[in-house]
Amino acid sequence: MSAEDVLVWIVWVVAAFACLGSGIAVVSFSNPFYSALSLIGNLGSLAVLFLLLSAEFVAAAQVLIYAGSVMVMFLFVIAYLGGRVDTPWAGGPSWQAVAAVTAAAALLAEIVLAIGLKAGGRLADQAAIPDNFGSPAQIGRIFLDEHLLAFEITSVVLLVAAVGGVILGTRPEDEDVSGVQP
Amino acid sequence: MTGPNLPAYLLIAGMLFAIGALGVLIRRSPLIILLSLEIMLNGANLALIAFSRHVGNHSGQIFALAVMAVAASEVVIGLGLIVAMARRRLVLDVDLLTTLRG
Amino acid sequence: MTAAAWVCLFSPLAAAALIVAGGMRIPARAAGFLATAAVGVSFAAAIVSLASMLTRSSGDRSETSTLWTWLSAGTFHVGLNVLVDPVSVFMMLVVSGVGCLIVGYSIGYVDAVAEERRYFFYISLFVFSMLLLVEAGNLLILLGGWGLVGLCSYFLIGFEHDRPAAIAAAKKAFIMNAFGDATMALGLFILVQKTNTLDWGPVFQRSQGLSQTVMVLVTLGLLGGALAKSAQLPLQTWLPDAMEGPTPVSALIHAATMVTAGVYLIVRAHPLFELAPKVQDLAAGLGAATILLAGLVALVQTDIKRVIAYSTMSQIGYMFLAAGIGAYANALFHLMTHAFFKALLFLAAGIIIHALAGEQDMRKMGGLRHLFPRTYIAFLAGGLALVAIPTFAGFFSKDSILAAALDAGWYGDILFAAGMLGAFLTGVYTFRMIFIVFEGEPSPFVREHLHQPQRDLPGVAMAIPVAVLAVLATFGGWIQFAPFWTPISDFINPVAAPLVEASNSEEAIASVVGVLLGLAGIGLAWLVYKRHTVTLPAARPWRAVLEHKFYFDELYNYVFYKPADLVARALGTYVERPLIEGSVDEVGEETADLGSRVSALQTGFLRLYVLAIAVGVSLFALLFVIVK
Repeated sequence: MSAEDVLVWIVWVVAAFACLGSGIAVVSFSNPFYSALSLIGNLGSLAVLFLLLSAEFVAAAQVLIYAGSVMVMFLFVIAYLGGRVDTPWAGGPSWQAVAAVTAAAALLAEIVLAIGLKAGGRLADQAAIPDNFGSPAQIGRIFLDEHLLAFEITSVVLLVAAVGGVILGTRPEDEDVSGVQP
Repeated sequence: MTGPNLPAYLLIAGMLFAIGALGVLIRRSPLIILLSLEIMLNGANLALIAFSRHVGNHSGQIFALAVMAVAASEVVIGLGLIVAMARRRLVLDVDLLTTLRG
Repeated sequence: MTAAAWVCLFSPLAAAALIVAGGMRIPARAAGFLATAAVGVSFAAAIVSLASMLTRSSGDRSETSTLWTWLSAGTFHVGLNVLVDPVSVFMMLVVSGVGCLIVGYSIGYVDAVAEERRYFFYISLFVFSMLLLVEAGNLLILLGGWGLVGLCSYFLIGFEHDRPAAIAAAKKAFIMNAFGDATMALGLFILVQKTNTLDWGPVFQRSQGLSQTVMVLVTLGLLGGALAKSAQLPLQTWLPDAMEGPTPVSALIHAATMVTAGVYLIVRAHPLFELAPKVQDLAAGLGAATILLAGLVALVQTDIKRVIAYSTMSQIGYMFLAAGIGAYANALFHLMTHAFFKALLFLAAGIIIHALAGEQDMRKMGGLRHLFPRTYIAFLAGGLALVAIPTFAGFFSKDSILAAALDAGWYGDILFAAGMLGAFLTGVYTFRMIFIVFEGEPSPFVREHLHQPQRDLPGVAMAIPVAVLAVLATFGGWIQFAPFWTPISDFINPVAAPLVEASNSEEAIASVVGVLLGLAGIGLAWLVYKRHTVTLPAARPWRAVLEHKFYFDELYNYVFYKPADLVARALGTYVERPLIEGSVDEVGEETADLGSRVSALQTGFLRLYVLAIAVGVSLFALLFVIVK
C-alpha cells in the first residue's frame, strides 16, 4: 500500500467516525443548539467523504448550502424559540423506545442484507473515471444537457418552497390559541 | 480508486439512515425531528454519490444535488411551520399535538 | 259448434272489461244491463252450440278447439282450448241460463247500493270463470277456472266490505277452497309426471296403464278439490258463512253454479275415478253423509238463508252420491233441476229480505203469506220441488238417483237408506221454513219495517226471474221421466256411460218411498209449526250439537287454526326477531363496533405514524429481499 493509499484510508476513517459520531450526537443531545451544531459537524465530514469520491462540486455545494444556509436557518429558529429542552427516550408509550430501536435496527439490517446479498459480486470492481469527473464544469454541462428537466423542476420546487415560506411567515391578525396547552 | 471501495461507503450511508430514523422516532421536539430527517437525507446522498463514483456516471451526483435542493425547501417549510406553531403559543411536542385524529 | 262456445265463454269477460273501462262514466244501472245482456248472449251462444251438436250423430259430439298453445315444455303442451261435448254444453246452458236470470234479478236487488258497478264487474267475471271451468279442454285451464271462481266468490261474499262478518266469511271460504285447490294441484302434478299431458282425452287414455296407488292419489287430489268447492264433508263449514254475501250471489254461486263444480269435475273426470273405485265409493259415501248432516243441522237454523244453504249442501250430497255410484246423467239432471228450484228459493227469499230491509232472521218474520201472495206461491213451488213432490222438478231427478243406488250392491243399499232419510229431513226443514215465514200472523217486526216492492224497474227486475224460475221449477222436470222418456240421459250417456242402471221396479220403489217420506216430513212440519199440536222435545244436548253444526268449526279451530297460530308466534319470537331482525341489527352493530376500533388507530400521535411507516418500509424491504 502506497503512502497515498494510507493517507486516504486515514482520512476516510476519521471522516467516517466523525460522521457517525456527530449523527449520534444530533440524536442524543437534549439541547437543540448542540444538536444543530453536531449536524454541522456531520455535514462537514460528509463533505470530506464526497471529496474522496471525486464529487468536488457536490462537496462544495454541501458546505455552502447545507452547512452554510440551511443550518444557519436552523440556528436562527432555535435561537428564536429559545432552545427548549427535550430529553430523548422520554415520553410516549412504553413500547415506543423499544419499537423505535427495533425498527431502526431492522432498516439497517435490511439495507445491509439487500445490498450484500443481491449485489455482492458487482460491488467490487470500479469504473475508470476521467480526471474531471465531478468537476463543476461537468456538472454544469450535464445539468443543461442530459438532466435539463430535473434542473428546471428543481427550480420550480425551490420557488414553491419560497412562496410557502413567505405565506407561513405572515403574521396572522388576532388568531385564537388552539390545540394543546403546555 | 484508492481507499475503501463501495461497500464501506454504503455501510456508512446505511448507518446514517438508521441513526436518522431512530432520531425521528424517539425525539419529541419537531426541531430535532427535522434535524434527524436531514441526517437521513444525507445518508441517501452519500449512497448516491458513492454509486455515481462506482458506475462512473454523473447522474448520481445530479440526483444528490436535486435531493439537496428539495431538502432545503423542506427545511424552509418545516421551520415555517414550527415558527407558526410557536407564534400560536403551541407547545412544541409532537406527543401533545394530536388534534388530527379519528 | 266450438265458435259458439268461444262466444259463450268470452261474452261475460267482455262485459266485465267494458264495465271496468267505463268506470264511473257509465251509469250504475247500465252496468247491470250490460252484464245481463252479456250473459244472455252467452246463453244464446250455448243454445246455438246445442243446436249444432244435435245435428250430429250421438257418437260424434265431442270437439276440441284451441286458441293458442299457452305452455310448452319439451313434449308437454298446454293450450287455451275448449272441449265442446254434451256434458260441457249441458253445463254451459245451466250456467248461462240461470246466470242470466240471476244477473237480471241483481239489477233490482243491488239497485242504488254503493259500488253497484263493482258488483256487476265481479259477477260478470264470475260467469266467465265458471264457463271457463266447464268448457276447459284440459285440466290446467280447468284449474285456472277453478281458482278464478273461488276468487270471485271471495270478492262477492265480502262485497259489503265494511262488515267484518262478511270479510271473515269471505276469507274462510277462500282459505278452505285454497286447501282444495292445493290437493287438486298435487293430483295434477302426479298426472303430468306420469302421463305428460293434461288434455282430457290423452289423460284418460294414458292413465289406463297406471298403478292403483297413482290413480288413488290423483283422484284423491281431485276429490279434495271437489269437496272443498262443493262444500261437502269434511270441508263444508264455509258455505253457511258465505250467506253473508248478497242474496243473488248466494243464488248464483252458492246454489246453482260454483258449488256444483265439484260434481261436474267428477262427472268429467269419471274415467280417472273409475280407475280408482275406492275413491269413487268414498265420494258417494261423503255425499250421503253430507245429506244427513246438512239435513239435521238445517232443522235448527233461524236464518232463512242458512236453511237454504244447508239444503244446498244436502242436495249436492245427492249429486255426489250419484256421481260416486256412476249415475252421471242423473247427477247432471239433478244439478239442473236443483239450479232451478234452489235459485228460485234464494231469489224469492231475497225479495222478502229486501222488503224487510235486510232482515234474515225467520223468527222475526211471519204471516207474510197475504202480504206477498205471489212470492209465497213461488216459494211454495220451490219448496215442493225441493221435497221432490210428484210433477215438480225435484221429483224426477232425485228419485232417479236413489233408484240407481239400489242397483249398486249392498253399499248402494246403504246409500239408498241415507238418501231416503234425507228426503224425510228435507220435507221437515223446508216446510218448517215455509210455515214459520209465511203462516200465522204478521209479527210486530214485519208491521214496522215492511215496505212492499214497487212496480218500478227494480221491482220488476226482481219479479220476472222469480216467475221464470217458478215455471221452470214446476214444469222443468218433465224433460226427463225415467223410464218413460230420457232425453237427458240419452244426451249425456254417450260421453259418460253410467255404471249403474236402475230397473223399472227400482224406479218405482224409489219414487214411492221417496214421496211418502217427503210427505211425512211435510206432515210433521205442519203439525209442529202450523198447527202447533205437537211440540218437539227440548232435548238440550242434541239441540246443542245441531246448533253447533256438529262442532266442525270448533274442531277445525283447534286442529288447524290454533297450532298454526302457535307456530307463527313461536317462529316470530324465536326465529324472526333474534335471527332475522337480530342479524340485521347485529350487522349494523358489528360494523359500528369495528369502525370505532379501527378509529382507535388514529391517535394523532405523530411518532406512532412514523413508526408505522418505518415498520411498513421494513416489511416491504424484507419482502423484496425474499422474493427477489
